[in-house]
Amino acid sequence: MTSTPTQNEPGENSVSLRLANGPLTGPVLSRVVEMVLARADCPVNRLNDAMILCDALAAHTPAHANDGHVAFTVVTDGREIQLRVGELSEQGATKLLADAAVPGIGNVLERLSDELRIESSSTGHPREELILTLHFD
Amino acid sequence: MTPDIELALPARAANIAVVRHAFGALGEALAVDEQILSNIRLAVTEACTNVVVHAYPDGEEGQLEILATLQEEKLVVVVRDEGPGIGPRPDSPGLGLGLPLIASVTESVQLGRDDGDERTEVRMTFPLSSGAP
Repeated sequence: MTSTPTQNEPGENSVSLRLANGPLTGPVLSRVVEMVLARADCPVNRLNDAMILCDALAAHTPAHANDGHVAFTVVTDGREIQLRVGELSEQGATKLLADAAVPGIGNVLERLSDELRIESSSTGHPREELILTLHFD
Repeated sequence: MTPDIELALPARAANIAVVRHAFGALGEALAVDEQILSNIRLAVTEACTNVVVHAYPDGEEGQLEILATLQEEKLVVVVRDEGPGIGPRPDSPGLGLGLPLIASVTESVQLGRDDGDERTEVRMTFPLSSGAP
């Protein structure tokens, strides 16, 4: 039987997702985030912001994924949600961020996130992780 | 074959709804027939419920993992946990209908352990079109 390792061990309030690039990426990511936020009593305006973030990530992440898969970890902690986009290629998070710029609107990821940072891993293949945080009251 | 969807989350009742909702994406993205999608969601919900209720001793929380792989006209879903395995349980709080229910809506169902013998698995195969063998 299958023994595919899961890339991210979920913590107490986290959901790890690893999705093949394709038509399922956006719908699965959006549905998981939607459900996690609904459970956390997130107000509808922030839920809507999170859905726009998911759409942007689903549209642009596959181009910067390492092996045809994208990994997301959704973590809720009190009144915030953290969305970690992992397994990106070298400079992948930086390029993903650049791709999310919409003419006349600005960068969707930067505008809707309360915090945004990129973490690099130098062990093995160089990889980047994009970490977005949304607060809600 | 690498799964198309891998989900890992704490084995809690509230998370069953997350998994069920996620599988609705099959209808959204792949136009899977409504009845087939309903069967998939029912079986996956039952398998996840079994993990939440039976896999770990009372008071302990473990992992729930779901892997879904598209294979031509079929979908293979593996629901697994790190508990000791499936066995008779005289004090079971359920009616024992979960596995028969899963069997009734799947093309095939297998119970077992993963390759490393570290996890208990329920492997379910679903046709993705009404005409699939």
